[in-house]
Amino acid sequence: MKFSWEYFFGTFPLIAEKLPVTLSLTVISAGFSLALGTVMALVNYYRVPVLTQFLKAWSSFIRGTPAVTQMFFFYYGLATVSALVLNMSPLVAVAVVMSLNMSAFVAESVRAALLSVDDGQKEAALSLGMSNFQVITRIVIPQAVRIALPPLFNDIINLFKMSSLAFLVGIRDVMGASKIESAASFRFFECYAIVMLIYWFCTIVLTFLQRRLEKRCSAIYE
Amino acid sequence: MESMVEVRGLSKTFDGSTYILKDIDLNVAKNEVVAILGPSGTGKSTLLRCLNYLCEPTAGSVRVGSVTVDAARHTGSQVRLLRRQSAMVFQSYNLFKNKTARENVMEALVTVQKKSKAEAESIALRLLEKVGMLDRKDYYPSKMSGGQQQRVGIARALAVNPNVLLFDEPTSALDPELVGEVLNTIRQLAEEETSTMLLVTHEVRFARNVASRILFMEDGHIAADGTPEQIIDNPGSVSPRLQQFLNFVSK
Repeated sequence: MKFSWEYFFGTFPLIAEKLPVTLSLTVISAGFSLALGTVMALVNYYRVPVLTQFLKAWSSFIRGTPAVTQMFFFYYGLATVSALVLNMSPLVAVAVVMSLNMSAFVAESVRAALLSVDDGQKEAALSLGMSNFQVITRIVIPQAVRIALPPLFNDIINLFKMSSLAFLVGIRDVMGASKIESAASFRFFECYAIVMLIYWFCTIVLTFLQRRLEKRCSAIYE
Repeated sequence: MESMVEVRGLSKTFDGSTYILKDIDLNVAKNEVVAILGPSGTGKSTLLRCLNYLCEPTAGSVRVGSVTVDAARHTGSQVRLLRRQSAMVFQSYNLFKNKTARENVMEALVTVQKKSKAEAESIALRLLEKVGMLDRKDYYPSKMSGGQQQRVGIARALAVNPNVLLFDEPTSALDPELVGEVLNTIRQLAEEETSTMLLVTHEVRFARNVASRILFMEDGHIAADGTPEQIIDNPGSVSPRLQQFLNFVSK
């Protein structure tokens, strides 16, 4: 079977029109993982007893198992013991798994950024009578944000690619759409080439944004 | 004379057995300028940092101005009150890197003393002018030399109108040609301000000129305490270790 440009261009819009599903999964999970990851990083930063040890084990578990395994375990495995998961729509389930998974990585990026603010500045703030809360909100976090943004953008790019797992539980995202199209037409080469190009193009756009952000972040205080 | 700093039985240990500070008693009167000299690792900085609890003493009490804190039973809010009695100038300047010179000086006025932005700003500009940094008021620390950063650091410390100014080796991290500008600023303060100062320094000649009293520390305790004339001009009559130290430093 020869590569058909006609089929390629004809099918491209059918697959690309599922991009909103992929993007909304990414954006929603990014929001939740950012919030969750930041809380986890703060727990670690302040060495909250018990929680810190728990999160350490949790993070090791998340980072030590594949996302696809986590998703199957959550969506099919936990469904047998939890009515909540059983009644969950696949879209929500995937968003939950993506958020939980990525929060462990976000926590690491944020933690490193918080630690990058030197103790001297914190001591200076404390010596002037500032409270711990003022030190973290006015001195540490504003500086940590600019350190954290570039690695966080990497996490978002990873999240975007991770959303392709959604088709495994029957969601018609770009990956799901190309699987369905190819199963009907047997034109696997064209269909998967299309979806590859879509992912690649989006990642290039994100990387471009990341570069610009990185430049601005490093220039802020100079 | 009114006493401004009072330290009683102050000790700091590591692992319960290694002493950094051993049972220190110290009284500093209002408007005294006290220089603390001594070899490295004898507890000079630790003593200074115990005065604002950046270093938590193991035992003893510290009073600065009107606030007393006892190591055996201190609370976070007591410590914050104690810290508001003094201000510290650091060896590595420690300016807030996300804030301009002006904002660095304003920060504690707004967050701790709850002054209005306008009032804080006018204080900041006055003090930046005093340390000769008014033309750099909108510069971030990354765009200032070490000496300039330290002068802003001094303005930041003056801004809170502290009862006691603490200088923790303020020129040790500076290039030799920048030491002078910072020492001049401190000398000017010592001469014209009515403020109490404690400074840890290695600049013996500077201490001789500026301080009204000199402490010599060794092995975690105050080995000598006297006027600059007594300590620096006639070290031999005080202790052989002191003479050895001064000979070494002046070379």
